[in-house]
Amino acid sequence: MIMKKGNILSKTAIWLLRLRVMTVKELLQLSRDFILIFFVVYAFTVDIYSAGAGVTLQLNKAATVFHDNDRSFASRELISRFQEPHFSLKGEILHPSEGLRLLDKDKAMIVLDIPPRFQESLLEGEPVSVQLQVDATNSVLGFLAASYGEQIVGEFGLEAGLKRLGMSASGAETLPMIKDDHRVWFNPNQNDAWFMSITELLNIITVFAILLPAAAMVREKERGTVEQLLVSPLTPFQIMVPKMLAMTMVILAGTAVSLFAVMEPVFHVPIKGSVLLFFLVTTLYILNTAGLGLFAATIARNLAQVGMLTVLIVAPMIFLSGAWTPPEAMVPWMRLFMYMSPLHYYIDSCLGILLKGAGLDILWDSVLIMVLLGSTVFGLGMWRFRRQFS
Amino acid sequence: MNIKRIFVVAHKEWREIVRDRLFFSLAFIVPAFLMILFGYGISMDVEDIPFVVMDQDGSRMSRDYSYRFIDSRYFDFKGYVHDEHTLTLLLTDNKVRAAIIIPEHFQKDLLNGRPVHVQTLIDGTFPFRAQTTKGYVTAINAAMSRELLAGYLSRTRGIPIERARGIVRPVRLEVRYLYNQSVKSIWSVAPKLIMVIMMLSPPFLTALGVVREKESGSIYNIYASTVRRGEFLLGKLVPYVGISTMNMFILWLMATKLYGAPFKGQVSFFVPASILYVICTTGIGLVASVFVRTQIAAIIVTVILTMIPAVLYSGCLIPIPSLSGQAQTIAHMLPAMYYTNIVMGSFLKGVGLKSLWPNVLILAGYATILFTIGFSLFTKRPRS
Repeated sequence: MIMKKGNILSKTAIWLLRLRVMTVKELLQLSRDFILIFFVVYAFTVDIYSAGAGVTLQLNKAATVFHDNDRSFASRELISRFQEPHFSLKGEILHPSEGLRLLDKDKAMIVLDIPPRFQESLLEGEPVSVQLQVDATNSVLGFLAASYGEQIVGEFGLEAGLKRLGMSASGAETLPMIKDDHRVWFNPNQNDAWFMSITELLNIITVFAILLPAAAMVREKERGTVEQLLVSPLTPFQIMVPKMLAMTMVILAGTAVSLFAVMEPVFHVPIKGSVLLFFLVTTLYILNTAGLGLFAATIARNLAQVGMLTVLIVAPMIFLSGAWTPPEAMVPWMRLFMYMSPLHYYIDSCLGILLKGAGLDILWDSVLIMVLLGSTVFGLGMWRFRRQFS
Repeated sequence: MNIKRIFVVAHKEWREIVRDRLFFSLAFIVPAFLMILFGYGISMDVEDIPFVVMDQDGSRMSRDYSYRFIDSRYFDFKGYVHDEHTLTLLLTDNKVRAAIIIPEHFQKDLLNGRPVHVQTLIDGTFPFRAQTTKGYVTAINAAMSRELLAGYLSRTRGIPIERARGIVRPVRLEVRYLYNQSVKSIWSVAPKLIMVIMMLSPPFLTALGVVREKESGSIYNIYASTVRRGEFLLGKLVPYVGISTMNMFILWLMATKLYGAPFKGQVSFFVPASILYVICTTGIGLVASVFVRTQIAAIIVTVILTMIPAVLYSGCLIPIPSLSGQAQTIAHMLPAMYYTNIVMGSFLKGVGLKSLWPNVLILAGYATILFTIGFSLFTKRPRS
């Protein structure tokens, strides 16, 4: 009885020892590729920084020129309302063709055209139109420019109309109107850096979680060192899992660096939820996604193929994750694919934890689906791997 | 430089690529696949925003008001909620992106000629979607206000309703969208996708091609042969430039035929300019491959180095003028932005060499610099 127990204990000890030795081997191998390490660090710091810094999808000081055919008090008043932060007046043009030329050369994004007799029409109560030409090469910003323009002109018109009736604009407090009281939650200033840096971090985690273990595996195949491993007493599981463990450690370290050295101090990303939960979910995600890499590794025969396959897997995951295009705006069949992407659930959870302060009580369903999807793929990868090497 | 030797190296490389069937087919499949994926997958249109209404008034007017959102194609009604706790939960759990809270006495106040404050809660996690949502909300509120006001004026002042409408909205704004009249995202996205994909794929292929020889050791054959380094590099790159040029053509076809993006420029300008860009991005792969020793490093270096600049600093998502000062400097230092100008000019604006020549010149300069760096750092005598 005691013998048997001791036997089991020593077996477990050996099992753990093998796991440890192999993990250390992987870490050592990784750390000796200096350029690789350099770029892992680069990805988790500089790359995250450049994704978050300066990139904004808001209408920010859009270059606006105007063509004032009226040169009246009213026209100047309207023009002066096109102000920062959304617009930035770049001066007057004297001819419409000059506006087109500026638009062509990307020197201006918006041309505001005020017709002659603008003030006169206003005073006489005739309807009048002003024209806004918008460079819609970027459709999001084009839409925003039109929408802000509409707001400015609408308010201006309303004030002018009320004034004509002898009511002051401030008298609007005594008029039946809807006062727009919007509040933006979770990111009140719509700071793009938060969103950009978080999603970029998640993307990088995805790339590494798939690529690193897959590459570590295929490299052994390509060089033939896998034969040595196969004749050793290691089981396929003991060959495979240390690779994933080692890479998970590297990625988690990188994540910590970018969270505490870039995102929090530089971009002031509010970490509202539990940091522990964030790292727990991340670990789960990395291990699960590594399954996809394993799967790719069983198909590929050399590293070049692994690289291409990774792109083939990662790109759809990132683009169908719901970070860029919300699920509600997707074509239905694409949405179906999105619900199959573990990254979708991971992004939901991470944005929830970091920005919204959500806990497991709210996120449990996302985490659960992520784990289920991940373990299915992981199982599949493991199964193919065993079949290949047994 | 011996043309024959270059040809031999190129031929050898070509055979090697073709014989790796999976790699060869992926070299064509991946770009086309990305084009389909990005084209259908990226939609910057903000529509069907899921939202809930918390109607604390429950009157005829408050229902009319909610229906303005419910009927709008920009919003997707998910039902009424009755307490703030549920509302918070729904927003936190990503189930809805906006919530409208109609206060008590909504109808009473409006009928008595008093303003009401309607609160809208918007999920700001995705900043640009929050911006757009805000725009929709403001527009719907403004339209409702104008109608209320017109009705009020006609009742209290005895002005005919038509005239009252004119009074509250004397100035109309006519918006003309240039270059992309229908503001369809796919039109403006498809040409830029060519730029993005051709920034990602050539460096990747090239770096792998060169580093593969280094890692497997077959490069020692080259070190020991009569092939000069210039000949070797040129021969090595020719097949990749060829493959990428083919891809470029496929992507162009997809953009025009599949996505129906208009091509208004001249082919005679666009083709050489595009080949120049491909040479340029191939050069990035060359420089990367000189530095790294392992293929895995080559993959990571090229992906990390090209992805962010291609998407964020190229004018693809965000026009260069609206980047911050520092980001603008970065953008000007990278080739992607210049080619974006060329693609957008050729596709949507229909301008040619006459106004785009500075971009072509800069790309040419870029290619020269990259190849010079690659050439001077590549040595046939490896440092031990």
